[in-house]
Amino acid sequence: MTRDIIIAGGGRVGFQTAELLAARDENVTIIERDEDRVAEIADAWIATVIEGDASDPDIIEQAGIENADTIAALTEVTGLNLAVCLLATRLTDEIRTVARVDRETNETYDRFVDAVVYPEEAGARVAANKTAGEEVQTLTAVTGDIEILEVRVAEGAPAAGRTLTDVSFPAGTLVISGEDASRIAQPDTTLTPGSQFVVAVEPGVVDEVLQLMRG
Amino acid sequence: MSSHDQREPEAELGLLDATMIGMGAMIGAGIFVLTGLAAEISGPAALLVFMLNGVVTAFTGLSYAELASAIPKSGGGYAFVREIFDDFGSFIMGWMLWFAYMIAGALYALGFAPNFLELLHVYDVVAPPDQVGAVVLPLLGVGVPPNFVLAFVAVAGLVALNAASTAASGSAETIFTIIKVSILVVFVAFGFFSAGGGGETSFTFQNFDPLFTEGSGAFSILPAMGLTFIAFEGYDLITTVTEEVENPRENIPKAIFVSLAATVVVYLLVVTVAIGTLGATELAAAGEAGIAAAATSFMPTGVPLIQNGGALIVFGAVFSTITALNAVVIASSRVAFSMGREGQLVQSIGQIHHRFGTPFVAVLVSAVVMLGSVVLPTQSAGNMSSLFFLLSFIIVNVAVIRLRRERPNMNRPYEIPYYPIPPILGIVLNGILAVVLIRFLIQTDMLALLLSIGWLAAGAVMYVALNKYRERIATDEAEPTADQPATDGGGDD
Repeated sequence: MTRDIIIAGGGRVGFQTAELLAARDENVTIIERDEDRVAEIADAWIATVIEGDASDPDIIEQAGIENADTIAALTEVTGLNLAVCLLATRLTDEIRTVARVDRETNETYDRFVDAVVYPEEAGARVAANKTAGEEVQTLTAVTGDIEILEVRVAEGAPAAGRTLTDVSFPAGTLVISGEDASRIAQPDTTLTPGSQFVVAVEPGVVDEVLQLMRG
Repeated sequence: MSSHDQREPEAELGLLDATMIGMGAMIGAGIFVLTGLAAEISGPAALLVFMLNGVVTAFTGLSYAELASAIPKSGGGYAFVREIFDDFGSFIMGWMLWFAYMIAGALYALGFAPNFLELLHVYDVVAPPDQVGAVVLPLLGVGVPPNFVLAFVAVAGLVALNAASTAASGSAETIFTIIKVSILVVFVAFGFFSAGGGGETSFTFQNFDPLFTEGSGAFSILPAMGLTFIAFEGYDLITTVTEEVENPRENIPKAIFVSLAATVVVYLLVVTVAIGTLGATELAAAGEAGIAAAATSFMPTGVPLIQNGGALIVFGAVFSTITALNAVVIASSRVAFSMGREGQLVQSIGQIHHRFGTPFVAVLVSAVVMLGSVVLPTQSAGNMSSLFFLLSFIIVNVAVIRLRRERPNMNRPYEIPYYPIPPILGIVLNGILAVVLIRFLIQTDMLALLLSIGWLAAGAVMYVALNKYRERIATDEAEPTADQPATDGGGDD
């Protein structure tokens, strides 16, 4: 089922995140303050955009906080991100919150938000890979446009309980690992509901692969 | 069309393609099937009917343009309403739009059948349409009218095609539309050339006098407007392919306006020629094959290859109805699929097939309603489909106003000029047509009215049942380890 996701901050991190989520067929709404940036995001045609300050409760409500499943505060300012997440949990129950931070936080924020992301660390990993040479690479950095996903097969999804031979994945898909990533996938590997599989997917068909495996 | 074709990194449809998709959906079948029926209700004033409908629908077109530019989703009207309405409001919108498309499918199939028979008749394969006997089904031994059999086969064939494979994308639609429009241009040109020819069916303005049929007066055009409203529903289809259009925030509003304007011009020319040559009375008598009958009357014979010039127009009618039928098979299943994805219909409707990659269940469920509806009279199908488009367009206009009030900061690359007048006019005018159509149904077509009410009631029941079911699942999941009360233990299915 499609989820509603709010992203506060449509800068480079927020925008790229929105792009990846939209490719997975999620409903994304971006909150962005800068007028020129709003126009750029609108051109990309991936998300509804609310123009305004994400720390303003009225703006968060306009983004549809009531029915949202997750809010990710991804601006450059850690304090603002935290404020947005706390505000969101006040405005509605049962919302997942994700805050972007600018330093290693060692779980100190875990009491207040459901997850933290530290994009600079991921960026540094890529930089280290490039700098050190090409012999050993962290997986996330080498895949170019291809997404390597770990997907848990949902109960009742179209592909659930079927073998790989039975399911016709769209061109541009490769199921890499068998059940729970302990073996390489075989034609008779069964996509057991509840198990996780590593799948390499080209960006254009991510939504279709997820529809098959997640329903 | 599967989601495989969407979200391609590069946009591929230009302004022309998007415009052609809209025109293709509108010029599809409405003009061929409904001109005769409109002439039956309001005589030569059928011309006014199409003109005024173009004006009424333009207001909703503005609303679609604003919503499509602000909400980057490919679900059409349902996706826009889902953005701002609560669960029940958006459910009803989807439920009505889904029905409108399915009944439109039946309507186009019913329009396809007599035109196809006419085409066969032109080449002397079969007797004139009204003399073709019933087709006897070998197993059942009962006679069934050939129109019904043809309509049924057309729907079944296209459904099978769309259930098992992903359909041709927008670029093919451009070629289809150019063919359709070219054929209509030929029709209009020869119609006007026939003026002064002195033949029995030469074009003459005397056929427009008196404009309004005797006794019924100017108000007789209102029910005819309701009936033919479906001929203008194409822009909903433009907004289902937005993700494939390049520079969508500029091109989508433009495509909506250009396709609407061009369509109105084409309609007016075609209706003028049809009435001017054949006369409203004979046009009405020809019913679903009205345009084809008009063409056969004045097109030159002895043309090389196709022999009879009229056959070209009849071919145009067959081609238009079948491509329009294909478009609504896709559109109806897509509305159902979106509703399933949003959790507003049973889950399997929102899933793609594990082998074919198509929204298989959504296509099949839509097919059942479509196949069941081809037994309806053409006019009832037109009435019901138009009624549900009118009602859902009212909701779309309300959605524009609610979004402006509740989300003033939402980025709107295209804004309706002179807001709030156009959406309010859209609500009022669509509302008037809906009321007139309902009153007309009470007088002439109780069957259509009862079926419409029945569909809404079924929707309400479905909504309540689905929510009850969801609640039960949710409570079961919330307390997986809690002691099951004894009363609950037996109800496990």
